[in-house]
Amino acid sequence: QNILTVCFSVGYSVVALNHVIDFKEKKQEIIKPVSPSELFPSLPIVQGTSKRIKVLTRLTLVVSDPSHCNLLRSTSANIRLYDIIAVFPKTEKLFHIACTTLDVDLVCINVTEKLPFYFRRPPVNMAIDRGIYFELLYTPAIKDSTMRRYTISNAISLMQICKGKNVVVSSAAERPLELRGPYDVANLGLLFGLSEGEAKAAVSTNCRAAMLHGETRKSACGVVYTVKKPRQAEEEETAVPACKKVKTQ
Amino acid sequence: MVRFKNRYVLCEVVSEDPRCRQCIEDRALGLAVRDAIARVHGDYGLACCSISFTVKYLNAYTGTVLLRCRKDSYRLLCSALPFVRSLESRAQRYPCFLNTLHVGGTIRTCQKFLIQYNRTQLLRLLQNCTNEEERQSVQKSLLSCSLTEEQSQSGDEEEDD
Repeated sequence: QNILTVCFSVGYSVVALNHVIDFKEKKQEIIKPVSPSELFPSLPIVQGTSKRIKVLTRLTLVVSDPSHCNLLRSTSANIRLYDIIAVFPKTEKLFHIACTTLDVDLVCINVTEKLPFYFRRPPVNMAIDRGIYFELLYTPAIKDSTMRRYTISNAISLMQICKGKNVVVSSAAERPLELRGPYDVANLGLLFGLSEGEAKAAVSTNCRAAMLHGETRKSACGVVYTVKKPRQAEEEETAVPACKKVKTQ
Repeated sequence: MVRFKNRYVLCEVVSEDPRCRQCIEDRALGLAVRDAIARVHGDYGLACCSISFTVKYLNAYTGTVLLRCRKDSYRLLCSALPFVRSLESRAQRYPCFLNTLHVGGTIRTCQKFLIQYNRTQLLRLLQNCTNEEERQSVQKSLLSCSLTEEQSQSGDEEEDD
């Protein structure tokens, strides 16, 4: 809860609370996410605007086996309660599956050790087309020096393949002092090989687009595309999934 | 026009420990920032950034810091600022972090930004005020924030947190 108060005072407008599921045990039930209203009776207001701060819930699946992905397709009701779903692939095959067929919003890139696989262009390009974002964590870089080297080397290899598109930088802060302000995180993006505009986007617009991707995943099951007929006087709105829409603030 | 161009980086020291703010000194902060640059960018980065590196302004009540560096190396400085983890002063180590607020070319632009920022902070404090007297004093300071020419660092209304 302390972390959240620091977040708000530093100037973030939307925060997502992460819940990691690891598949080392035999069977794991997905528990219900902690509702944000339990933490704060009334959410404070964003600095500078008059909107309330949003707190989202997020699930991260650490997959090291293709059978774990079946959990995503299961009709467990608890999965639907999470706003954003992220997957953390450990092998090359799983990375490929995550980018192409899995129904997730974010693909986490490992920063704490040397990547066991190299990125290849086809799955990365498919992920960009589908609107899936790659996530980099920055808190291990602040804590430890060897992690910093792995973070930077993994991040730069990712940038060389994806050219800086569809990248989200986030913190896995467990304590309020491991958090950094948004301007600082954008500056960290410069270290990771992003250009200045891309780094700012990695903190703001890409995150917002990932959030919208999660929302459409929860709500939309199909796309309704209506075309104006020459006879009809009015035109109906088209509903296009957020990955194809560019969201500008 | 031939002159040295500087960049002034405005930061805020955020810490959980309330004692940390009282013991901020410019030398300790300068050392902490240099140390962070050395850890991240090595000897080359430290040498580049310390050409014209000083702590220009320090406000212990609000934790506001103004750093100066050369325009060519301000990127190195800015990208190393998130790695500042703690401040050491008088043989005590306080964990904290620096939150970058604004980067400007002159002290005057940073001062203008700081006044606006302080105004918004005072507004936020006003919302959390419980005491009626505090509310009155905060409102009075809000109304009297301005940039005047007589004093050198005028207009920065401070609030004891």
